[in-house]
Amino acid sequence: MRGYPPALRILLATVLVLVPLAFPHFYLLLATEILIMGLFAVAFNLLLGYTGMVSFGHAAFYGLGAYACGLLLKKAGAPFAVAFLAAPVLAAAAALIFGLLCIRLTRIYFSMLTLAFSQIVWAVAHKWYSLTGGDNGLVAIPVPDALAGPRAFYLFTLACTGLAVGALWRLVNAPFGRTLLAIRENAERAEFVGVHVKRMQLLAFVISGGVSGLAGALFALFSRGAFPDYAFWTKSAEVLLMTLLGGPFVFLGPALGAGILIVLNSVVTSFTEYWPVVLGVILLALIYVFPGGVMRLFRSRATPAAADDVAMASTIEARR
Amino acid sequence: MKRTAVLAGIALVAFGALAPAPPAAAQQPIKVGVIYGLGGAAAPYTKPAVTGHEMAVEEINAAGGVLGRKLQLVIRDDQSKPDVGVREARDLILKEKVDFLTGIIHSGVALAVSEVAKEHKTLLLVSIAKTAALTEDKWHRYVFRATSNTLIEGRAAAILLAQQPFKRYAIAGPDYEYGHRMTEDFVAHLKKLKPDVQVVAEVWPKLGERDFTPHINALLQAKPEMVFSAIWGGDHIAFVKQAKPYGFFAKTQYLAIGQGDLDVVVPLGAEAPEGMWVSSNYTFYYPDAPANRDFVAKYKARTGDLPPSGAAFGYTATHFLAAAIRKAKSAETEKVVEALEGLTMETVHGPLTIRGYDHQSNKGQFFGRLKKVPEHPFLIIGDLQYVGGEKTMRTLDEVKALRGQK
Amino acid sequence: MFDLGGLGDPAFLAVQCLNGLTQAMFLFLIASGLTLIFGVLGVLNFAHGSLYMLGAYLSYTITSLFVGSPAAFWISLVLASAGVAVVGALVEATFLRPVYRREELEQLLVTYALVLIISDAVKFIWGPDNRSVSRPAILAGSVDIGGRDFPTYNLLVLALGPLVALLLWLVLSRTQFGRLIRAAANDREMVGVVGVDVSRLFTGVFALGAWLGGLGGGLAAPVGAIYPGMDVEVIAESFIVVVVGGMGSLTGTLLGALIIGQLNSFGILFFPRFALVFVYVLMVVVLVTRPWGLLGKPLAR
Repeated sequence: MRGYPPALRILLATVLVLVPLAFPHFYLLLATEILIMGLFAVAFNLLLGYTGMVSFGHAAFYGLGAYACGLLLKKAGAPFAVAFLAAPVLAAAAALIFGLLCIRLTRIYFSMLTLAFSQIVWAVAHKWYSLTGGDNGLVAIPVPDALAGPRAFYLFTLACTGLAVGALWRLVNAPFGRTLLAIRENAERAEFVGVHVKRMQLLAFVISGGVSGLAGALFALFSRGAFPDYAFWTKSAEVLLMTLLGGPFVFLGPALGAGILIVLNSVVTSFTEYWPVVLGVILLALIYVFPGGVMRLFRSRATPAAADDVAMASTIEARR
Repeated sequence: MKRTAVLAGIALVAFGALAPAPPAAAQQPIKVGVIYGLGGAAAPYTKPAVTGHEMAVEEINAAGGVLGRKLQLVIRDDQSKPDVGVREARDLILKEKVDFLTGIIHSGVALAVSEVAKEHKTLLLVSIAKTAALTEDKWHRYVFRATSNTLIEGRAAAILLAQQPFKRYAIAGPDYEYGHRMTEDFVAHLKKLKPDVQVVAEVWPKLGERDFTPHINALLQAKPEMVFSAIWGGDHIAFVKQAKPYGFFAKTQYLAIGQGDLDVVVPLGAEAPEGMWVSSNYTFYYPDAPANRDFVAKYKARTGDLPPSGAAFGYTATHFLAAAIRKAKSAETEKVVEALEGLTMETVHGPLTIRGYDHQSNKGQFFGRLKKVPEHPFLIIGDLQYVGGEKTMRTLDEVKALRGQK
Repeated sequence: MFDLGGLGDPAFLAVQCLNGLTQAMFLFLIASGLTLIFGVLGVLNFAHGSLYMLGAYLSYTITSLFVGSPAAFWISLVLASAGVAVVGALVEATFLRPVYRREELEQLLVTYALVLIISDAVKFIWGPDNRSVSRPAILAGSVDIGGRDFPTYNLLVLALGPLVALLLWLVLSRTQFGRLIRAAANDREMVGVVGVDVSRLFTGVFALGAWLGGLGGGLAAPVGAIYPGMDVEVIAESFIVVVVGGMGSLTGTLLGALIIGQLNSFGILFFPRFALVFVYVLMVVVLVTRPWGLLGKPLAR
């Protein structure tokens, strides 16, 4: 994962910032949604692409972030900064609790436990009518006036996602990130080299969960509401698909996947109600034709074995 | 260079270049956005509803349109998810530039879209969703409802049953907000009308429950005289089929709110229990008035089927909108809002009024007991009574109080 | 809320217990297919609920072809389940076979894609309306149990459950096919090395699993509604049965089904509003304390 040339980074940043000026209201909303889901997917990929753990229950953190922010704003009348920042913190706390139990398991059992936890979050949101509004949801979340306009909100989202993604980028390029890769390739070997595998996995889980919560809070503000199906398994499936579609082996791949999926959904659903079959076909195409996601079209990766050694070498070096 | 391609790809996608902008909308047609959950359990209501909207639009356009302009529908699926509903509503308002919004069956989606309508000052005429909150504490100037709500229906059932000798009641509801609100409103009003009733048992199967047998057995154990149930659709079909061989319908009475409608009565066919108490949102055989007969004939000619409630919902809502535009002599939202307030119109259910204060229609429900008839392979409602909304709507004082508290 | 005194009534408890048992047999039929496929192929078949749904819809169509005939139900049960078995075989050969060498996740995703496709296909072919089939006349009545009525149809389910369990046990222990299945469940690669056509074996197992799911669907059709969306309900329940009993263990599935069936039956008396959370809490408890289930192999996979 080399750095992107600075010129390109500046270009991208400029373009993204200028979007509000060039595009009408509706496309601005679409772009905002893509940024939010892109953030969610990149956070999710910290666990999938970097640590090799498949979570089926990441919607739990997304949903918890959304409700935390929404409830604090609406019911507790908390100041915006408090409510907004509480979301990733609470989501991370939940990730810590769930994570402690989940990382004891591997593979399909890990995945199923994450799924079970997120379904519990969903069920609680669904049933706790007096707090969350049940399946009617928490509507009319008060967004501060400064952010109420679409342009302002877009720029705010851009800033938040930019900072969060930037922080994650730093993290994965630091020894921490390389350690995660080593764990992904071969957890046993990493253990032998002296890595506290479980601790690293938990840390990745918590960070991933926390940033997912941030995405959830952004989305609650964006939709002016928080609903139980933010925590439903279909949302977890969505972020998984976005990640795979874009490609889990490149840092921003999942963001690309998010963009593609959202735009496709928007286009397809204006023609037909049979979106699931389209999604199913895309998924199959992904598996049979583009196994590494769309990113595979662009990248020329070393073989897994070589990557294994590279990751291991970096880890050993980092520990010196 | 791979990286460049990656970044270019991201930039391209992020700008949504793939979404085709519609051609510059001709100023002529009045565009009406229609949002429904078109899949899953809602489909037996929403698919006919869309047909109802389309039929109404065809009729109106064939007669020259509204104010000389044609009506045009833009139909979207909210997938029964509030955030998708929000996205579609925004899409319709901002990209498709619809003049009005209508539709919606899922209560959560209704509340979420209502917020969007409020924000963009677009008139939303809800055609199916029943949550009372929409026209009570979550009311605002731009939201209207052409149908009844859980309060109206629950109270109507209470009025009906208060006239019966039953004292021991049991409650069965799907375990979500609609189920709880409906049954709470029913019980509260029943107790007011007849203080000596008792609720001897409650069961709360989850929405989409497959196995009702433990609930059925538990209900029977409590020996109620009447079971009031908010279970609907496919769940109701399953409940009825499972309950029958337990002798359920011989041992207790059962009122299934909203389940006198074709979407459940037709699949059940002869298995529907005779004498079961039901209500329906619409019946094709009552009122036997020209408006209804006409509608039934047209629907049958178009689809080959008799119209279920869904179709009436869509049809009525569209006509209300058209009538309001005509009365306002304009398609401007603010004027149409004022025209719609207090508007009375002849519908397939008879005359309906949309109350000015809370934009809630006074539509009631058709109650009765199922009976076999030779003309149809399914049961219809006998001893039919229409309990109108005027008897059961919240009084203006009650609404004021609810709004004041928020 | 409930007159708890009335709960002590033995006839009531007996019927409630039988209700739980009936449900357990349903769950066993459906989940056994899931566990078989997981045990041998190593694939957690998300599309199992879809196969169940197909079984129900097919039985609806076949029944409507034989309207009026008293044998309609039996014919449709046989044909519908067979039909689903064929679909299962086709699906396995076309979609799953190419991905056996790949990661578990990719196999799972293939089955998820199938869920999406089958769900829309069903909606497209049969339309969105509710459908219903009736019980056959001889099973439409009830028997008397301690003064209460108990549906005769449930007796069929109560009989079929153990019958199918016996059938499966016989197949697994007495036939060549069964021996191969057990061998492949233990060591897939060895079986291939020894010269067995593993692809054909896998297709056969998947078809068997699909047959069980379809049978469950055909059996459930007369006691419920048939509608698009019925696949999702069943898959969640099947998962929990298999997780509790042990993934890959048929006896475990039977045990898991019995437990879940009775817990549901009596749970609603004491925790009426928690049906929604209950299944997932149970799943968490099992996965945290004994992830391989009651009778599964300790994290062999």
